[in-house]
Amino acid sequence: MPPLIEQSFTKALFHGVIAEDMIFPYPEMTSEERQSTSIILDSVRRFFAANVDSAKIDREQEIPKEVMDGLRSLGLFGLQIPTEYGGIGLSTAAYVRVMQEIGGMDASIAVTLGAHQSIGYKSLLLFGTPEQKRRYLPKLATGESVAAFALTEPSAGSDAAAIKTRAEVVDGGAAYVLNGSKIWITNGGFADVFTVFARTSALEEGSKPKITAFIVERGMGVTSGPNEHKLGIRGSSTTEIFLENVRVPRENVVGDVGKGFKVAMEVLNSGRLGLASGCVGVCKTLLRLAIARVEERRAFGRNIGDFGLIKDKIARMLAETYALESMTYLTAGLVDSKIADYSLESAICKVKGSETLWSVVNETLQIAAGIGYMQEYPYERILRDSRVNLIFEGTNEILRCFIALSGMAAPGKALAEVAKAMREPIKGFGLLSDFALRKARAALGRERMTRVHPLLGREAVIFEEYVSELAVQAENVLRKHGRDIAEMQFTQLRIADMVMDLFAVAACLTRTTRAIERRGEDGARREIDLCSLYLNMAHKRLRQNVSDFARNDDELRKAIAGRAYIDGAYPFDVL
Amino acid sequence: MKILVALKRVADPDNANKVKIPASGEKIDTTGLEWKPNPFDEYALEAALRLTENGTQPKVRAGEVVVVTFGPKETETTLRAALATGADRAIRVDASDDKLDGDLVARALKALVEKEKPDVVLMGKQAVDGDSNQVGQILAELLDWPMATFAATIREEAGALLVGREVDGGVSTLRVKLPAVVTVDLRIVAPTSVYSTKTPSTHKYNDGVRFAALPAIMAAKKKPLVEVKLADLAPDQALKVSYHGFAAPPARKAGIKVKDVSELVSKLKNEAKVL
Ligand SMILES: Cc1cc2nc3c(=O)[nH]c(=O)nc-3n(C[C@H](O)[C@H](O)[C@H](O)COP(=O)(O)OP(=O)(O)OC[C@H]3O[C@@H](n4cnc5c(N)ncnc54)[C@H](O)[C@@H]3O)c2cc1C
Repeated sequence: MPPLIEQSFTKALFHGVIAEDMIFPYPEMTSEERQSTSIILDSVRRFFAANVDSAKIDREQEIPKEVMDGLRSLGLFGLQIPTEYGGIGLSTAAYVRVMQEIGGMDASIAVTLGAHQSIGYKSLLLFGTPEQKRRYLPKLATGESVAAFALTEPSAGSDAAAIKTRAEVVDGGAAYVLNGSKIWITNGGFADVFTVFARTSALEEGSKPKITAFIVERGMGVTSGPNEHKLGIRGSSTTEIFLENVRVPRENVVGDVGKGFKVAMEVLNSGRLGLASGCVGVCKTLLRLAIARVEERRAFGRNIGDFGLIKDKIARMLAETYALESMTYLTAGLVDSKIADYSLESAICKVKGSETLWSVVNETLQIAAGIGYMQEYPYERILRDSRVNLIFEGTNEILRCFIALSGMAAPGKALAEVAKAMREPIKGFGLLSDFALRKARAALGRERMTRVHPLLGREAVIFEEYVSELAVQAENVLRKHGRDIAEMQFTQLRIADMVMDLFAVAACLTRTTRAIERRGEDGARREIDLCSLYLNMAHKRLRQNVSDFARNDDELRKAIAGRAYIDGAYPFDVL
Repeated sequence: MKILVALKRVADPDNANKVKIPASGEKIDTTGLEWKPNPFDEYALEAALRLTENGTQPKVRAGEVVVVTFGPKETETTLRAALATGADRAIRVDASDDKLDGDLVARALKALVEKEKPDVVLMGKQAVDGDSNQVGQILAELLDWPMATFAATIREEAGALLVGREVDGGVSTLRVKLPAVVTVDLRIVAPTSVYSTKTPSTHKYNDGVRFAALPAIMAAKKKPLVEVKLADLAPDQALKVSYHGFAAPPARKAGIKVKDVSELVSKLKNEAKVL
């Protein structure tokens, strides 16, 4: 069990363990990488300033060909492809920093580039054979061919394992023939290479699916429907794609046959970080707009920035963005340090990223008020563009369940093992589980955050308190519900929200500690204040979640929803 | 042709409000500033690149461009960026910003020019931070080389440069024999401003400076960048310019609205006393 804990900072939190050596010191790029990344960002900014008109892209629902060609010749299609395959070979941290910049400038372009490299060809980078890499990566790196990730189907969105697209073995195993269709595929209209997930066993309700990942070239027979008309990211192409007797050679299986679901999940784990960093970029753009606006707009003889309610919004937006940026680059650093498991961290970044952005865009539009609502200004477009982040690459609901259940899997197993050892049924071992927990803690011997700077002592103590609270609550609900925890979504929500806040606070603490160590208290004043404010906001939520474990109205809510399903609508009218 | 381009990093002029001056007024507080290459120096680099290529095939370099800057280690970012856009070699003269003035920089550059023996020294007409507008002129004097300042156009000829300078009411054109010092103005990056002998006169450049594609940025990590001690170039580091104090410009006062032209005229006459 200890190895499991050591592999993931966030999973360890479920055991009450603070594996602080994983997150201290706050990771940073080497000075050489910082230098090249800042030069890259400079080129990217100049290109966008000179060539990209986001309002026009939104209006015409298309990224102009010259812009796409410009993005290609800049080298933006092969950011993480190793140089030996013709890519730029960026680290994860540098990659997400570049995606942050692009996200902050144009969402349609960010989604197009993200679908290509955050998920489209990621399966090749993670699982491809040298032969597959040699064959596909060089053209993908230059953007001569564009990639897409094709998982979702009409009857399988969140429940991706329910896909129906079939892959049947032909020619004695030399090839597969694929039949089915996929919907809402980003880059679907023009992609040349698709990572397609198809079922290599019959669909049986309840049985473990055998899904396999394939690299499918358009030329093998993929066709696509027209571009969907969407709320936002209108310049990106989202289409249905059809596979009708598409023959795919065996060499194009990515990963193992039957292990495609794992391929999809690993791709999404790593892709979510690109999405989160795009959200950081948009938040920064919005803050620039919001701050400029409050300094210029006057009401009641004053700048609106003078009013307390506006200051409150600005302060919260800053603190939330700071926390989001801190956890995104902490996670990027974890990925670059080659830790085995960052699935929870990247899922947390995705959920927090999309929700932070949604709150920041909403508040910024509120500050802009009337002009915020008008198409002449960028606010409404940014609001529309931002909404999709809560939906794709795993809805935030699905990811909350994932965070809670995957985090509780290890403590659950530990409890079950102790129970088995004592020949006790799972529900009957009451006090013994304390023993399991203590054992886990003792094995690692640490539950304080010792590396945090003393100036953040108050914040660290609150963090420690709620880490042990999380472990206690997780243990309680596991003891109470056993396997049934999988059905307890209200509980999962509380657990997930707690652990997300704890990870965010941990990220702020380590980053702010580094800032203080570098620049002293005065030099790090901004970071210290944002860290404090974020902690206060998180503290309130944590306290509420803990108290909700003891007393809540879950059953009331379920009953109301249940009745509403029967009524079929809001049941009243004042008439 | 071999060209030496001097580059300076300056506090990002778009974020000038971040420049802080401590109460003592002794110097400018540079912590937390964002740095950018001085725009006129970037134009000089662009002109140098145009002079060392056939504009229709910019990837084939014809000539050598050496870039130099004065400053601490961090200023190497400016040099790397220049290498990424096409310069061949870079030199950083290790120095601290507040221990330099135009005279000292020019003297050090003179020593460097004597070592590097470029055909042309190209520089921005001035740096947008101090706006001193001195180094090019002092350097030409020290070298006893021909000089053309504020170049708006440059056309390469055999052994000379034809330099167009925008002056009140027209353009003055100078032919400077090489080697020479040329400082450039903003217009130098217009599409038809600079022609090497290899670039066909029908060629039109993109407006503005070029920027590096990502593969070139990564490749530039391997280009030579050497550090030189200021003392090796200029043993005498005494400054001729001494700064006595710094103060932020006064905050702009709120404006007023006038009803009509006659009120405006009357206010300009009686209150502002400018008419
Ligand atoms: C613009 C856009 C681009 C996209 N690009 C791609 C792409 O490139 N490739 C690709 O494969 N897919 C893509 N998608 C599809 C996207 O990933 C799915 O929309 C997403 O996974 C959700 O699936 P769904 O829409 O079918 O929602 P559903 O699965 O039908 O979910 C409906 C609602 O129920 C909730 N829900 C579902 N299951 C549970 C549960 N177990 N517990 C609690 N709540 C639950 C969901 O959170 C949601 O609120 C894209 C979608 C959009 C909008």
